Amino acid sequence: MRGIFSDGPRTALTAFYWAFLLYLLLPLTLMMAMSFKDASFVAFPIGNWTLDWYGKVMQDKQFLDACLYSVMIAAASMVAATTLGTWIAMLIVAEGIRGRMIIFALACLPAVVPGMISAISLRIFISTIDMPTGTAAIILGHTVHAVPFVVVMALTRLRSMPGNLVDAARDLGADNVVAFFRVTLPYLGPALLGGMIFCVLLSIDDFVRTFFLGGYRPTLPMLIFAKVQGGMSPEINAMATIVLVVTAAVGLYAEYMTRRARTR
Amino acid sequence: MEPVVQFDQINKSYGKHVAVDNLNLSIEGGKFVTLLGPSGCGKSTSLRMLGGFETPTSGRILLSGKDVTRVPPNKRNVNIVFQDYALFPHMNVAKNIAFGLELKGLDNQRIHRRVSELLELVQLQDYAHRLPAELSGGQRQRVALMRALAPDPDVLLLDEPLSALDAKLRQQMQIELKAIQEKTGKTFMFVTHDQEEALTMSDTIVVMNKGRIEQMGDPDTLYGRPGSVFVANFIGETNLLRSTVLGVEGDTASLNWNGITITANQGGLTPKPGEHLYVVLRPESIHCSVTEPATGNRIKGKIRQRVFKGNHTSLSVDVGDGTLLNALVHPSDVAQLSGEDIWVGWKAETSTVIPDRQAHN
Repeated sequence: MRGIFSDGPRTALTAFYWAFLLYLLLPLTLMMAMSFKDASFVAFPIGNWTLDWYGKVMQDKQFLDACLYSVMIAAASMVAATTLGTWIAMLIVAEGIRGRMIIFALACLPAVVPGMISAISLRIFISTIDMPTGTAAIILGHTVHAVPFVVVMALTRLRSMPGNLVDAARDLGADNVVAFFRVTLPYLGPALLGGMIFCVLLSIDDFVRTFFLGGYRPTLPMLIFAKVQGGMSPEINAMATIVLVVTAAVGLYAEYMTRRARTR
Repeated sequence: MEPVVQFDQINKSYGKHVAVDNLNLSIEGGKFVTLLGPSGCGKSTSLRMLGGFETPTSGRILLSGKDVTRVPPNKRNVNIVFQDYALFPHMNVAKNIAFGLELKGLDNQRIHRRVSELLELVQLQDYAHRLPAELSGGQRQRVALMRALAPDPDVLLLDEPLSALDAKLRQQMQIELKAIQEKTGKTFMFVTHDQEEALTMSDTIVVMNKGRIEQMGDPDTLYGRPGSVFVANFIGETNLLRSTVLGVEGDTASLNWNGITITANQGGLTPKPGEHLYVVLRPESIHCSVTEPATGNRIKGKIRQRVFKGNHTSLSVDVGDGTLLNALVHPSDVAQLSGEDIWVGWKAETSTVIPDRQAHN
């Protein structure tokens, strides 16, 4: 029989894994637990449990408005980023394109530039072109941030596409446009769905860019930030819990859908 | 009758590499024509030029008399069956087949009727709603064929469509392809490097080598009367005997092969005495026996190797100085050839002479 000490590295690895899980999940669990606490202080012990905070959140006009605003911005930037990202990916794999590596590098740049730098540069940019801060500017900022992720996902899928599918479509009478919409786009489908949901999550989550580009109407993260500055309360925990559950559900669903589509 | 396809002085080069070199080819309607050759001989390039996926460097391609050299693939009435089928993975079988019909603007009822008719032709009626991923290799092959046939092309192009199938299925599909071609009366232009496929299915075989047509003819002619060393070697197994002409009498030439006098059909050439030629002698034309044959060419030899091939046995016979002849022996004759010493014999008319190209160059 192997003792615990005869297999040191493996034991250490397992221990690390559990420690990491604990570190990952404990804060979230605490936050969720506090949202059910029947008292206005965020601290242990939890004497009585309640759903009142959720009731309060659901009646909070500010919260609902911020949610709506965030979703609207997310939807708009998703449409823009998916269109742009798909187009750039198609450009990169197109025949006879020079400097495709440069296009790819440029398209991916926004994903690696620090959020702060990106936010400041976008702010300078919009004031240079006399664009007011607010909805349009936020959408612009979120789109730029999300494009690289769509490009990478679409590219991966495009590269696995048999080269002669488009040839076959052309051969059967499709022009380039018809071939794109009837063959390439459906083939890209699973990757684009994943990319779209990723865009939405990125946008909903974004704070820094929104902070620099936003107007007076707060998005969800901005609202929560403002509320936290007024002191922690279980209401904020309830809000955060709702956001966490919804985004996690959407993310997992997206993962499930892309997997299912890919195995077909 | 006007040919369906005409390649008129077609050249295609990629930089310095010449893929197709002054190709002139007319194809009659309703025929099963095979472009046969090793990889890189220009057969696939020729097919892709006819499909519209490559533009010739110079020359014209005529389709049913019309110049289509620069017409894009979606505007010419030819369809391709691709090597890996290229079925649309997100469409079911019926939708795949209907694709070309929809783009032709047919109404739904006619599309439906045509699709059912085609599915029936290959007995895939029950698979109409399956996705390509849920089909076997042979079924995918049939769907790809029907999808390409659906829009009723002037010519159906097949780019090595059988190479992904295993040997058994491949033989079955050869017969099926030929049957479909005969039933539909379409012109099929088939590209392959497999001589057996070409011999099995074709009405006409065009043997290509280094971008040029080496020889064109029906399978019998190409096999029985190859026009060059390349064709003789490429199609079937063969013994090539480099010989010097001694004289010609009627159809028969007598030649000197390694000091032995042999006779062969002069094969339409008019050989002059002293000329160097090759005699093509197919292994199945050789008759092996223990006793000396009474007539025809005969040489005494020693069996060096026997390879059992099931329906026949292949013998390597040393006919002196280590020169080997390959012969096929029928199972019923093998038993008597137990010893090493045998006679090989063949009739003059079963062998033919071809020019020694190298000698002229």
